[in-house]
Amino acid sequence: MVIGYAGLSHLGLVSAAAAAAQGFETIGFDPDASLVDRIRAGDIPIVEPGFAELLAHGDGRLTLTASASELARCDVVFIAIDVPTDDAGRSDTTAVEDLLSRIPPVDHELSVVILSQVEPGFTRAHRQTLEMATHARLFYQVETLIFGRAVERAIHPERFMVGLAQSGDSMPEPWRRFLESFDCPILRMRYESAELAKIAINFFLVSSISTTNLLADVCERIGADWGEIAPALRLDARIGPKAYLEPGLGVGGGNLGRDLATVQRLAGQRGSDARLIDAWQANSTYRRDWALRVLHREVLSESADVRLALWGVAYKQDTGSTKNSPALALARGVAGTPVRAYDPAARVPEGFPHVEQVDSALVACENADALLIMTPWSEFRRTPAAAVAAALRGCVVIDPYRVLDRDDAQRAGLRVHRLGAPEAA
Amino acid sequence: MFRHHEPEGKDPARVVLLGARGFLARAIDAALDARTIARTPIGSAEIDLAAAAAGEALAAKLRPTDAILFLSALTPDRGRGIDTMMANLRMAESVCRALSAAPVAHVVYVSSDAVYRDEDAFVDESTRADNPSLYGSMHALRERMLQHQLGQAIPLAVLRPTLVFGAGDTHNSYGPNRFMRAAATDRAIPIFGAGDEQRDHVFVDDLARLIVDTIVYRSSGVLNLVTGTSVAFGELAREVASIAGPDVQVVSKPRAAGPVLHRHYDPTALHRAFPAFRFTPRSEALRRAWAGYAAATS
Repeated sequence: MVIGYAGLSHLGLVSAAAAAAQGFETIGFDPDASLVDRIRAGDIPIVEPGFAELLAHGDGRLTLTASASELARCDVVFIAIDVPTDDAGRSDTTAVEDLLSRIPPVDHELSVVILSQVEPGFTRAHRQTLEMATHARLFYQVETLIFGRAVERAIHPERFMVGLAQSGDSMPEPWRRFLESFDCPILRMRYESAELAKIAINFFLVSSISTTNLLADVCERIGADWGEIAPALRLDARIGPKAYLEPGLGVGGGNLGRDLATVQRLAGQRGSDARLIDAWQANSTYRRDWALRVLHREVLSESADVRLALWGVAYKQDTGSTKNSPALALARGVAGTPVRAYDPAARVPEGFPHVEQVDSALVACENADALLIMTPWSEFRRTPAAAVAAALRGCVVIDPYRVLDRDDAQRAGLRVHRLGAPEAA
Repeated sequence: MFRHHEPEGKDPARVVLLGARGFLARAIDAALDARTIARTPIGSAEIDLAAAAAGEALAAKLRPTDAILFLSALTPDRGRGIDTMMANLRMAESVCRALSAAPVAHVVYVSSDAVYRDEDAFVDESTRADNPSLYGSMHALRERMLQHQLGQAIPLAVLRPTLVFGAGDTHNSYGPNRFMRAAATDRAIPIFGAGDEQRDHVFVDDLARLIVDTIVYRSSGVLNLVTGTSVAFGELAREVASIAGPDVQVVSKPRAAGPVLHRHYDPTALHRAFPAFRFTPRSEALRRAWAGYAAATS
């Protein structure tokens, strides 16, 4: 049995490598020949823990190609290109449609499975065109990739959700056997249910994140500590040990925003009341600027001559990317105030003349009135609070992600502000 | 979204002040003075904006390089009824007619946080401006009249200040100004119940600086002029009492039945719009207001 993946972006690469590691002959196709050459040469365009090992495990079974005709050898082809979104959260499915158009005609049973995230209705709308052109059958399968945990989730999926033309239809044998090899439940449903299931998962995550962020805000104002409450919630079977209960700076992530926008649009078209989404979005925007508000309240309002230390420039740890970086959003909000920034991997881009990048965390702190820890790099956790206190001229630390140990920081005389914790606790 | 059309800041050729008599206008005048920005005040004695031909009269005075600061309004102490509202709307109509005939470089409209519903406990610029009161509706309508008139052709900044205090305020609404008068005259500050209601109060000098910044950066969009810190009236009264003298008492008076309403603002948009702006600490602002009040009454 041969498994194919069309589209070698994050989703396609990880999924193809996982299929090969599972023991299946796998073909990874992308129309971009230079990308294929680059990956063949070992220049992997994604950063994902464990990916190199996964790739090595499937070595010999994964063939990369820029020739779509190779897909004719497959029994199952997954369309696995990442779907970009615009600023309004709308998906651009051009690449998915392009890959569908490249599926070669076959004279054997071929299942084409859309793994890319598409809006409800997409699979059914494209079914007839594909089937008439190629004799392949079109299906949908929910992807549950999480950046930074993609490998783990690809080789140990919790379950598969598969979309069929009708919920009573049976799955083609090769596809079913392939999924059964991962030894997890397979949930069959009609196309639209599967397409919405992916969105439904993200909605429940947004719901948990938003609820957590709201209650974290209340905690900060009434002297409660969300860090003490969350463990109790995790022991409640209705909430669960893996629930999203970490406070954050808004909802974040383009995929969650896309799903909110998708349902808003669907609800608007079909007449459902989706005002709850407005509230989530408003709360997310409000929490995104938490650090800036705390900074104004605790530091900038107290003195005209302020210097700031900024730890973290990347949008999250273990990456050099600054796209949608909360640190840069914060830096933009303090234009005119001198900032010294340190990040183990990311560079401050052009357009921040008030930000000086330095090459050590403690150098950034020297003579600063406050330290802002905007990316939770593990390196920062290893920095002693006493050293931070010695370097700062002020004592305020804005630490949304609880990077510094609270007790150490207090002993060092630092006033630490953390999401969901009483002020300066 | 609030944005600056002069990101580096640039003094306008001239500021035309519509509504030149109030205590806010005096503070703005001082702030413009401090930055040596030329201005031409136009008060109701010169042009009664509520009068029929006011638009033409105003247009005759405008230059294309002017920034207009539209402050004129009959406040609720001048009446809360339909007549007052219609007079206020006629003023806006006159300004719109003048701008149609004589476009300028920038318009700043000083609206009010009265556009928000009283029961809105948490407010930012995305909160609906749909207070059903005539005064709140009037400001919201004036905003929309100007937005309709100016479209994209002329940058329009709509500023919504919250409760203002400072020396020289002739209004006597519940808050620091009334507390100072009461402290000076009666040595007792009455508050309703325990004075639990929380509100945001902005010092008039800070407000004036923010308005001048808006002019200098030629900003457009909607911005709440708020500190982001709300305080209970009772606490505020005690702060005023401590400034006014050890003999000044805070006295509780019966409070009308009804829910205790609070108001909190998200100041993020203001922080982002004017990153270098710093509010005067409340304790210092109250001292300065008290000193100004004491000087004026001595």
